[in-house]
Amino acid sequence: MRVGIVGIGMTEFRIHEEPFFNVAYRAAKMAMEDAAIERREIDSFILGGYDNLGVGRTISNMYVAPAAGGYLRHEIRVSDDAAFSLPLAYMRVKGGLSDVAIVLGFGHSSETPVELVEVQSLDPLFHRDFKLAPQMGYALQSYAYRNTFNIKDEDAAEVVVKDREMARKNDYAFLQERINVDDVLNSEMAVYPLRKPEIAEWCDGCVAFIIAEETTAKRINPDPIWIEGCGWSVDNYFLGDRELEKLNSTKQAAERAYKMVGCKPADIQAVEIMDLTSDYHFMILEALGFAESGKGRELLKSDFPANKSGGGLCTNAYGSTGMFLLANLALQIRNGEIDRGLAQAMSGYGQNAVVNILGV
Amino acid sequence: MVLKFEAKWEIPFVHSAGEHGTKFFEALKEKRIMGVKCPKCGRVLVPPRAFCERCFVDTADWVEVKDEGIVTTVTVTYIKFTGLPDPPYATGIVRLDGADTGMLCLLGGIDLTDWKKVHETFKPGTKVKAVWKDEPEGKITDILYFEPLEK
Amino acid sequence: MKKVAVVGVGQTKFRTRRNDKTHPELTFEAINKALEHADIEMKDIEAIAYGTMDPFDGIYCPERWDVIAGGIGKSYMKISTGGTTGLTTALAAYEHVASGLFDIAMAVCTQRVGECVDAQPVLNTAVCPIYERHSGAGAISVAAIQATVHMHKYGTTEEDMAWVSVKDHKNALKNPNAHIKLDIGIEEVLNSPMICSPLKLLECCPRSDGACAVIFASEDVARKIRDNPAWVLGEATISDNYFAGDRPDLSHWDTLSIAGRRLFRAAGIDDPMKDIDVAELYSPFTIQEILDLEALGFAKKGEGKDYAREGITYPDGKMPTNPSGGVLCTNPIGATGLVRLAEASLQVMGEASNQIDDVETALAHAWGGTLQFHTLMIVSSKKRI
Repeated sequence: MRVGIVGIGMTEFRIHEEPFFNVAYRAAKMAMEDAAIERREIDSFILGGYDNLGVGRTISNMYVAPAAGGYLRHEIRVSDDAAFSLPLAYMRVKGGLSDVAIVLGFGHSSETPVELVEVQSLDPLFHRDFKLAPQMGYALQSYAYRNTFNIKDEDAAEVVVKDREMARKNDYAFLQERINVDDVLNSEMAVYPLRKPEIAEWCDGCVAFIIAEETTAKRINPDPIWIEGCGWSVDNYFLGDRELEKLNSTKQAAERAYKMVGCKPADIQAVEIMDLTSDYHFMILEALGFAESGKGRELLKSDFPANKSGGGLCTNAYGSTGMFLLANLALQIRNGEIDRGLAQAMSGYGQNAVVNILGV
Repeated sequence: MVLKFEAKWEIPFVHSAGEHGTKFFEALKEKRIMGVKCPKCGRVLVPPRAFCERCFVDTADWVEVKDEGIVTTVTVTYIKFTGLPDPPYATGIVRLDGADTGMLCLLGGIDLTDWKKVHETFKPGTKVKAVWKDEPEGKITDILYFEPLEK
Repeated sequence: MKKVAVVGVGQTKFRTRRNDKTHPELTFEAINKALEHADIEMKDIEAIAYGTMDPFDGIYCPERWDVIAGGIGKSYMKISTGGTTGLTTALAAYEHVASGLFDIAMAVCTQRVGECVDAQPVLNTAVCPIYERHSGAGAISVAAIQATVHMHKYGTTEEDMAWVSVKDHKNALKNPNAHIKLDIGIEEVLNSPMICSPLKLLECCPRSDGACAVIFASEDVARKIRDNPAWVLGEATISDNYFAGDRPDLSHWDTLSIAGRRLFRAAGIDDPMKDIDVAELYSPFTIQEILDLEALGFAKKGEGKDYAREGITYPDGKMPTNPSGGVLCTNPIGATGLVRLAEASLQVMGEASNQIDDVETALAHAWGGTLQFHTLMIVSSKKRI
């Protein structure tokens, strides 16, 4: 039995004045309208997004569950980037426990300095005193990558140019200003070796999917977007124990997803990746199997179909970025541009990774 | 003997009340309490919210409710918890006249030492009235507490 | 739908502070106990669902650090749903296997409430910051307001509630993992200091450090692992709105009733009193066991208050509840729901420390938020009722 996406709802990704649960309500409503169903036709409500600290309330699903339409219904939350909640929803439907589910990802960064929130994820014994903000973790990987594979600043800057160019054409994207290589290289150094435009900025936004088991799905939407494969994996917490120039958990996640679909990287026609930094763009594509280690930049030159949405670099709402990418991928399939695509997301310093493959 | 390290989380937040919340708090400045009426089920919801969670529709009908109502429950806290009010303080739920939902709030205006007396004075069904701050600021604490209507 | 069973459980000893171990080490302790119980190795575990209530331990996303306890390279998913976390984490692990994608998945929950100087302010942050937080409400007050209404409506007395505490504490004495081990009688409970009226100190749960792990396996694999697996017959969760003031009648936990109906329908249960032999209920406060019994149909409305005093919920009674000592004696909040399932599974396997006679079917329950969520699971030695 296949499981397909039959409805998509995506709010604007910007700084929202409304609290996160009201934005989530909008996304849920839009998804239901897109699928032309009511909340009562949905039997499971699966939420995705970080808990508590991002929005100053512990147990944030308390607020998002009713916003998703979950009032007096079955509800659960994956407390990570929402891209991780798609596999859980998939498994619930595949297991026959639910026929129609809503997957809602909420992302909200504007109520608090997210860096300060993320610093609390460092263990209090060995790391917290260093106050390693996420950007620093990303930078450590960037430095390892550039050093190991002799990547020039200009190469990395090209990622920003390309992502922004795509974002300009995407109404849903957050950062849309055109930029060129010189602009990037002349920008202030944020965390060495990353300059400010090479790191994603924070914003707010929510995305919802209605998914259904095959038979029901076809009644709701004659052309469901099938969830063909999901794979997820996790790397070590200690940075010193990892190969920082690679993204091993993304690689393992991709292998699992390919295996589930029974396909190879060559069968993927477009990707949407969570490149929160310029170097991550290359590292992710390499981990996904599209280029050898260190050769990711060749994909830019050959116009590899990555990040038509503008990628994570242009739109990063703490918690819903992964679903933003998934939604953009799903829309490409719906519009007939591709038959099969892959969306990747990760959390921590590229520690936990998930790959979802969608197709017709 | 194991070593222990102290830590503290000090993370600032700026919580948006949203458009609906803003209307509610602006009204508090005038010592008025506003709720929203769901266009589908007709419930008057206090505190107000941007959508009725049951009917899943936007709520835009504003209704003023009285600053009086009935107590549905009460409890008195006698222990000091870090960062929470100094004991004794009475927490309860009050359903304001005109509203279909209750509101979590502080109850007061009486001696809280003997919990049995407090539970008797504020037993479910007791009529209470809001005691307002002299100069309301547009925060939930403009309502200092609810006290018995009949002294 | 694929049949799934619990094939191994592991719990750490629960204490006020487990100073002897770091967060991942505590997680490792539970994981190893579960692996030992199932007699399998870490390499056999394909996926892990990890749950915790982040802020209590003073570490945000502790699953990132705890991955070193055996999760590296596995499919690893974080679940967090407030007080129900323990059981929703179990639900997630169960769904991993029920989907057919995995044969063996483990639910792991770790909580170190002992590292938090005071849990109530943390719980206070769950309450809406704009409309409700100023009321000083925490977990104890939300249970206390339930008690007030039940007492008013049904004449439930302080003594009625205190008997639940006497029972749970007696049961805990037989549980080597339990946190609070006090041999107390009704007088001690009634004379303990008042916390949030009408709930007294000995009617409230402790804050506990500890971890729990439960291993789920698909039918074929479960049979190879043990002769007495605990089959999952059904699950249900429910979510209310978040405002505490929205609850229509605090003397009846109606959302638990609704979830119960769904659960019993799914599990094929006609009469909970007849079909369920033991229940591990998430009642960190005495009044909540009474409310749970009534909501789930083990007692008629207003009659739950008599059950403890009359011995009905004691181990040798008609409807034993919390033979482990329950949450009143051990509460590692995010892990507590999983401990309920662990204990329920052990009862079904016939391996519990305070084993009830002739258990075939057991129920596990958890609640969370400001009286907002419930999660339920039924396990049985039978694959069908």
